[in-house]
Amino acid sequence: MKKLFMILSLVLLSAGEIFAHGVGYRESELRAIPLEFSYSTGEKMSYCEASVFSPNDSKFAAQTGRTDEQGRFAFIPDVSGDWRIVVSDGQGHRCEAVIKIEDVKSEAFIESTTNQSKFIPAILGVSIIFNIALIVVNRRRSHAH
Amino acid sequence: MHISEGVLSGGVLVATWAASSAGIAVGLKKTDPEKIVGTALISSAFFLASLVNLKIGPSSVHMTLVGPMGLILGWAVFPAVFVALLLQAMLFQFGGLLVLGANTFSLGTSALVTYILFGKLARKNFVWAFVAGAFAVVLVACITGSMLVLTDLNFLTSAKLLVLAHLPLALLEGVVCAFLISWLKRVSLFAL
Repeated sequence: MKKLFMILSLVLLSAGEIFAHGVGYRESELRAIPLEFSYSTGEKMSYCEASVFSPNDSKFAAQTGRTDEQGRFAFIPDVSGDWRIVVSDGQGHRCEAVIKIEDVKSEAFIESTTNQSKFIPAILGVSIIFNIALIVVNRRRSHAH
Repeated sequence: MHISEGVLSGGVLVATWAASSAGIAVGLKKTDPEKIVGTALISSAFFLASLVNLKIGPSSVHMTLVGPMGLILGWAVFPAVFVALLLQAMLFQFGGLLVLGANTFSLGTSALVTYILFGKLARKNFVWAFVAGAFAVVLVACITGSMLVLTDLNFLTSAKLLVLAHLPLALLEGVVCAFLISWLKRVSLFAL
């Protein structure tokens, strides 16, 4: 019984570690687009529901949230194209904004191009080193003759 | 490790360029023509090893292979390091062209001193090869740190941190050096 209790305790203790996912954060290199929503009267659309639709998916929102007190809402586009932002106050007022994003640099894109761009210079560098070596060898040989 | 561009003072840059140029000239003169292709191979390995790069303060840490390079190449390490660093600066923007002399000096001098001190011992004994590999990295860190301190005394803390940060790398490189040298000896490469 004691053994069983010990095994159970160990399993429970280790479970804490198994389920504890590490979390962290870093500053994103992507640029956020801040928008300000207001009624025609000039009054700010405060704390209204906002949905962001990416150019790739017009049905399911890529991001949802609420505007702040000043009617501001920011989203972070990661692909180029027309992004649709819909803000509604739930009382019949609805504002739809379409923002054209032209030169977005997503991190995935930057990373993949960096890896790719390092591969070719690496081969080029090795090739240059061996070419220099061959030039030196040839010069030494011609001097020797 | 590379010192980034714009960190060192003009005096340090000029002095290290002069010392490196002398090292390269002697290295080229002393290099056996038959060993030039082998030198290019080692230079390429060093060039590629630097792609694994971690930034620490104004400097950066990565596998240097400076110990094995010195033990294998002797004086030829100066031209080998210079070409590899030049290509790294041009192709990967590691280090820079103005600090090329300083970076060549720190790595070349460490490799050469390692060769002079441990050249014969490391070929005979696995443990000495480990000591040589680790010593070379610590020496690079010390020389780089000294160049920073000579530029500005405020870099003293950075220099100390730099040396401390290189201690784990020194152990790792010591192990790599020991295995590499014993393997090269077994396959009779580079006249070891």
